[in-house]
Amino acid sequence: MAIPGQTGDTAHLYEGKTVRAAPPSRKKLAGQMKGSKEIPKDAVPDVHIPTFVESMFGGPLVPRMRFLPADKMVQTLQMLAGVVMILLGVLTYVVTPVSGTLWFAFSDMLGVEVLGVVLHLTVVLAALGCGFWGIFQRDARFLLASYVLFILVSLRFASSKVTFQWLPIEGEFIEKILLIMYAVFLVMYMELTNSVIRFSMLDTSIRTGEVYVMNVKKVLNRYHISLVITPVIAAAVAFLTLMINIVIPAIVGLFSEITATRLRESVELTSVYGVALGTMIVFLVVAAVFGANLPARFQKFRESA
Amino acid sequence: MFGSLAIALYMLGLTLRNQQLVTVAVVLLSFLTWAALKAGHADVAASGRRLEEKTDEEAGVSLSNLSAMRKLSSARVFEDGEVEVTLRVQNHSPLSKVLEVRDSLPEVMRIKKGANYILMELGPRRETMIEYTVECPLRGFYTIGPVAVRIQDTFGFFHREKELHVYDDFLVFPKTEDLKDAFVKSKVPKIFTGAVNIRQPGPGSEFYNLREYIPGDPMKSINWSAYARMGKVMVNERERDAVSDIIIIIDSRAVAETGPVSRNSLVYGTRAAASLAQFFLSRRDSVGLVVYGDEIVSVDRDTGKKQLYVLLTKLAGAMARGNTPLQVVTNRILPHINRGSPIIVLSCLEDDATIVNAIRDLRARDFDVTILTPSSLEFEFDARRLDRTGYEVLKTERDILISELRGLGAFVMDWEPDMLLSTALAGARGF
Repeated sequence: MAIPGQTGDTAHLYEGKTVRAAPPSRKKLAGQMKGSKEIPKDAVPDVHIPTFVESMFGGPLVPRMRFLPADKMVQTLQMLAGVVMILLGVLTYVVTPVSGTLWFAFSDMLGVEVLGVVLHLTVVLAALGCGFWGIFQRDARFLLASYVLFILVSLRFASSKVTFQWLPIEGEFIEKILLIMYAVFLVMYMELTNSVIRFSMLDTSIRTGEVYVMNVKKVLNRYHISLVITPVIAAAVAFLTLMINIVIPAIVGLFSEITATRLRESVELTSVYGVALGTMIVFLVVAAVFGANLPARFQKFRESA
Repeated sequence: MFGSLAIALYMLGLTLRNQQLVTVAVVLLSFLTWAALKAGHADVAASGRRLEEKTDEEAGVSLSNLSAMRKLSSARVFEDGEVEVTLRVQNHSPLSKVLEVRDSLPEVMRIKKGANYILMELGPRRETMIEYTVECPLRGFYTIGPVAVRIQDTFGFFHREKELHVYDDFLVFPKTEDLKDAFVKSKVPKIFTGAVNIRQPGPGSEFYNLREYIPGDPMKSINWSAYARMGKVMVNERERDAVSDIIIIIDSRAVAETGPVSRNSLVYGTRAAASLAQFFLSRRDSVGLVVYGDEIVSVDRDTGKKQLYVLLTKLAGAMARGNTPLQVVTNRILPHINRGSPIIVLSCLEDDATIVNAIRDLRARDFDVTILTPSSLEFEFDARRLDRTGYEVLKTERDILISELRGLGAFVMDWEPDMLLSTALAGARGF
């Protein structure tokens, strides 16, 4: 709009003013042409400092990974671990009597023996409960608690002899078989629950594209075969060590029948120290095999065949 | 952990005379022993040496018959470019193996397609190809490799690892921005015709003015419409183009890396330098480069595509180190460059008390100085590493310095992170 008495130019706007050279307006310049102002995700590095416990164990005890919903591979392992856990629960209850436990001593002191039994049962049930939650929620903390409780149940004082309080079992052989089954199931339980976590991590890594697995079935088959073979071998070794009170007299019997009979009747061989001796002998053989580098030599032979 | 548990249970079992604990320990030890045997862990145990001390040849029989080869789709890419990697793993052994293969990548690389970590069963005397694509977000010299191969027992108790020393190098150039105009004009005429306008009439491509025809002028320069309009034969005069020496100075001191990894002064500076070099070289100018940090690295002025690759390679390798003052750089290069040549300085202007003197020296010799200064304050403030008060104080100091430099006649632009290079250049020149 033209103002009366003034020309159309803009000179009047500058009258009485000093016009200085000014730096250009950055905001104006930026205008529409804008790059992204978003801070990249990798701009601030994520540093995890291990805790004291982690540094002691050389890594995290409980994985922090968030798992994706379990796929068929993990579900099968969960079912298997669940079955083994129930069998282990039964075996634990059979193999580990309440006598000699800490809570038995406590209840005995109070004069309420039933309390000991109740507490014993509670520990077994707590171990099962933690295990159940740990397996199906894939929470390693509960699994860890379950292992501790299962081991805690076996901790008994002043008892060198296995007593099957809950089942009327007689006969050393059956007792030892049950004991080996208990041990094998405990170890299998640890391994299977561990594998639930391990395979969940693997499954999540596969599905998030972090790792690619060629022929998953073959890899799984190998694991399943190992799950059958390894417990059998471990049970055989354990059986050999537990039956050392029969094996040693049998060998000695080849040379002297009297010494063999004495050994058979020896308290040391039938006690836990007999098992220790058996373990020592068996693992001395294993150590000799390792010492002579036989497995590596055998592997080398197979590789060059 | 299982080994420790087994031994602890065994000792506890013996102490408490508890057969259950001892049996569990024996079974656990048997498990571990069998796993060790299956994993070929025996020779480690037998030698009594740690795995780290072993050489590659000793790393294990089961891994000795493996080899790997790698092929890259390109050895030179620009930032945000992609490289396709093909890794071929061969099993020369007659035994089938379950392997974990991880191709080591530089930390800044991102996998776009496929995976560099593979778990697989490799059959006897078979080979397999692993293909993946990596994105390269930051400039630099990079190496892919070695290939880590791991074999472990099925329970994951023991593993053996070997590094196959297969390395492939590649170069990531700073990414460039297409510039339509750099707004940098030389005032110095030179003998050879080139592409930079020097504001004088002569042979060139840009229109300069009209003048009357002088005998000898080529017919093609006659402006027929002007002739019709004015009644006199008029010819077009063109602005003289000339080869111009453009010197780009990059601040690569340790302070230039202030800010996040992918957003700092050095990253912006190298990208700007690459874009400018590409722009000027495409116009047949001579471009020289000086990168100063802990030492002064210079590339002499030259033209052509080969020079562009030389410059890009130097820019890719620029590391944030040292604290060489700008005046040391200017003192060294001044005797070697033509007076009046455009000089473009890419610096954060921080932690250097000689900046004002250095620019004063350049301006005193009539150099056309353009300073693009990526603001590390903005980078730090955006990354929430700087509070508002600190930011305001530092910003004021910076503005004062910039004003002082402008007072010396330099074209200075405070380059904010969201600003494109072309905008920053235009801003520096007052457009």
